[in-house]
Amino acid sequence: MGLMDSVDVLVIGGGVAGASIVRELSRYELEVAMVEKEADVCFGVTKATHALIHSGIPGKGIPLENRTLLLGNLKMDQLCKDLDVPFERVGKLLVAFNSEELEILRMHEYNCRVGGVPGVELITDVNKIREMEPNISPKVIAALYTPTTGIVSPWELVFGLIENAKKNGVRLYVNAEVKSIFVQQDGSFIVGTEVGDVKSRYIVNAAGFGADSIARLIGDDSFKVTAVREQRIIIDKVYKGLVKHLVRALNGLKTTGDFVAPTVYGDIMIGETIEHPDDVYDVATTRDGLEGRVIPRAKDLVPSLPVRGTIKPFAGNIPRVNLKTEGGYKLIGDYLVKPSLASEKLINVVLTGSGVGAAPAIATYVVEEILPSVGLELKPKDRFDPKREGIPRFAELTDEERAKLIEKDPRWGHVVCRCEMVTEGEIVEAIRRGATTYDGVKFRTRTGMGRCQGGFDRPRVLRILSRELGIPVEKITRKGDGSYEVLYRVKELLLDARRGSDSNV
Amino acid sequence: MQEGEVIVMSRVLTKSVDVVVLGGGPAGLGAAIRAKEVGSRSVLLVERAEELGGVLPQCIHNGFGLHYFKEELTGPEYAWRLIKKLDKLGVEVLTHTMAIDINADKVVTVVNRDGVIKIKARSVILAMGCRERARGAIRIPGDRPAGVLTAGTVQRLINIEGYLPGERVVVVGSGDIGMIMARRLVLEGAEVAAVVEILPFIGGLIRNEVQCLRDFDIPTYTSHSTIFIHGRNRVKGVTITEVDRKMNPIPGTEKYIECDTVVLSVGLIPENELSRQAGVEIDPSTGGPVVDEVFQTNIPGIFAGGNVVHVHDLADYVTESAEIAAENAVKFAQGQQVVDDTTRVFVEAGENIRYVIPRYVSKSRPASFYMRVSWPLERAVIKIGDIVKRRFPFVRPSEQVRIDVPVEKMKKIEGERLVISCEGTEVIPR
Repeated sequence: MGLMDSVDVLVIGGGVAGASIVRELSRYELEVAMVEKEADVCFGVTKATHALIHSGIPGKGIPLENRTLLLGNLKMDQLCKDLDVPFERVGKLLVAFNSEELEILRMHEYNCRVGGVPGVELITDVNKIREMEPNISPKVIAALYTPTTGIVSPWELVFGLIENAKKNGVRLYVNAEVKSIFVQQDGSFIVGTEVGDVKSRYIVNAAGFGADSIARLIGDDSFKVTAVREQRIIIDKVYKGLVKHLVRALNGLKTTGDFVAPTVYGDIMIGETIEHPDDVYDVATTRDGLEGRVIPRAKDLVPSLPVRGTIKPFAGNIPRVNLKTEGGYKLIGDYLVKPSLASEKLINVVLTGSGVGAAPAIATYVVEEILPSVGLELKPKDRFDPKREGIPRFAELTDEERAKLIEKDPRWGHVVCRCEMVTEGEIVEAIRRGATTYDGVKFRTRTGMGRCQGGFDRPRVLRILSRELGIPVEKITRKGDGSYEVLYRVKELLLDARRGSDSNV
Repeated sequence: MQEGEVIVMSRVLTKSVDVVVLGGGPAGLGAAIRAKEVGSRSVLLVERAEELGGVLPQCIHNGFGLHYFKEELTGPEYAWRLIKKLDKLGVEVLTHTMAIDINADKVVTVVNRDGVIKIKARSVILAMGCRERARGAIRIPGDRPAGVLTAGTVQRLINIEGYLPGERVVVVGSGDIGMIMARRLVLEGAEVAAVVEILPFIGGLIRNEVQCLRDFDIPTYTSHSTIFIHGRNRVKGVTITEVDRKMNPIPGTEKYIECDTVVLSVGLIPENELSRQAGVEIDPSTGGPVVDEVFQTNIPGIFAGGNVVHVHDLADYVTESAEIAAENAVKFAQGQQVVDDTTRVFVEAGENIRYVIPRYVSKSRPASFYMRVSWPLERAVIKIGDIVKRRFPFVRPSEQVRIDVPVEKMKKIEGERLVISCEGTEVIPR
């Protein structure tokens, strides 16, 4: 396949890490491109993360994560404002059920003060806890309150970053799985993808679970990416307000136990299992995980949890970095963000489950520190525009605003998804911004994300996708790669069968 | 006001009517027709789809109208008869119009391609019908590929849109639409590899079990649960397992069935998001509004009819119940009293009764009780307090029971509570 682009920096992978980095790069006079192997950005790890922005309670042996979580958290307000992405600092209540756990909370409180986590408070007055979170278990005896903990929409953040980066000149190639990388004599690269080659001076390898395979293409086998699988459940927004904060249990000494959290869309998320699948792409849910762990543990935190309001159980896999040592690959808790040992002009970036919150700081680190240290010159653009406008959400507008949109374009008066009140106007806008699949539309507009889970909207959205993209319905996929929504036209099978029998006569 | 100042009038349109009906399916059509017939001056019907009929246009099978029209019709024919009547009576209709809000003052906000309209009504009839329970609600574990669809969505895809979802299908659950779609899929050239039902008996009507499953030799697995859906991109198969009486999987009985499509028929839920916005009280046993014998909700002037109240077996019954709601909605709009508050009785579901409608009756009025049992029984006796005792050769959860009680008997109710219960012989052990 021929050369399709020639750039200064090529970013591989359209998750939150890659998206944050291309957007940061787009501030400078550089030619930048991103390649994504899926049909759309944010179709991998980021889509199925827990959507929490950590306050940065320091953990042991993870200096990079500690530093970037704190910095990333601080950057979140401005970033989400610029990109028109929902973000709320709901605060976290990390709870203790007994005196042993209370001692662990005291340790974390101390670490927070040393680490500079703002506003931390250890609450041992149960009445106060109950006042903050009326539905919390009466068995909770204390809580470590971190007011800066936030919730975000991870996919809206990625769409926002990418749209803004594109506005500032970055080029995006989807369905572009990287097949080969050639290091040329001058140290630059020719990257061969499914859709064409890209010549690039630098590469940022943010390919998530594919990052180790990408690195191997240039002979770097210094790390391996394994997975932790986390199963979670989304509960209907009619129960909005059941919890106001992220309510989280301890996991031994760690702060990452089971949780009940509000989401930016008003529904409730509970989780999560900690599993180690052999296949990093295996995101199946299990009966043991959902019924045996997620639900009972969430009920320990909030006994009145309305499990009958379940909308969607799902699982997400998060990457873990394993570094090569003499005794084989060894798991590290931290992120991996550094130039490759095989070629310093390829930067490996692998984040873990907390990555969404750290990504803004990781992007600055990669762009302002690491890349210049290996020779990239940065000249700020005169006309960088940091703003991106989200797709208007019909459900959240006033009646006057709705009427105004409909007056301009009557498609805004056609409600396609009833549970989330999404109009044809939003669907068409999502397609204009790059959605080519049902999930692409769904994650940009929330169509099909409500309680009927696509029962009502799906045939209608398929029809709109078909019309706007000019492709037949039976060629439209859920999420690319053979995930067809319908397989045949009516009578196609019957006609084929008849043809078959005719030929036998 | 200064000269040259531009005054922007509100873009939101307003409208006033006596009766507004939300939903244009078998309930809404019936209600709008009846409201006009009994003399309402202005009736407005609001329907979100492009055409009237609700789910009926996609129900191309027969079995409709035997009770209501005294002849057997298909869904589209049943709808067409009602639509013709509606046209003749001159009911005002807004199609392609979504009601997005109702408040307790009976102001209904709707949107369509013309804009946003606030409709002030004297009475409101909720006729939004029901929706299907999706995969998430019953938490079937496994991968999350394309090709898992509810039966009603499949029905729409095949009968309206013209697409066949796949060629080898497993139907999970055995509700009526699931069984009807199993037959439709076979007729369209697909293979139905299995119908899997977690209960020890079929969920839908006997006539559908016979005409759709047995007549087409479709393998049926009762007391089986679907414990895993396989396939990363598109469905590749399901694992099913036998379950014990407590519906827990029995280890060692797992069976893998290859398929490219999973069709869910695992229950219908009355659609009451709008009702909740208005403050209508919802009965957890039905998922529908708590109604009295005239199908009025807890909010005076807001009535409900058809599947929005509870899920009926037949469209005929849906239309009938909406007619009662309509007659009383018109009376209310005209300022007449519709219930006797002085002799109110609260109705409760007792032994082996899953739910009963209405939840409030008056001792001074005749009443019709609609109910479903929780478990199939033979030689069953249903008791309405101490006033009525009715014998049935058998009762099944899939078949709704209706008992009419004349006013003489209603007068005999003592106290303010009426318990309905059912006893009999368990043929299938519980």
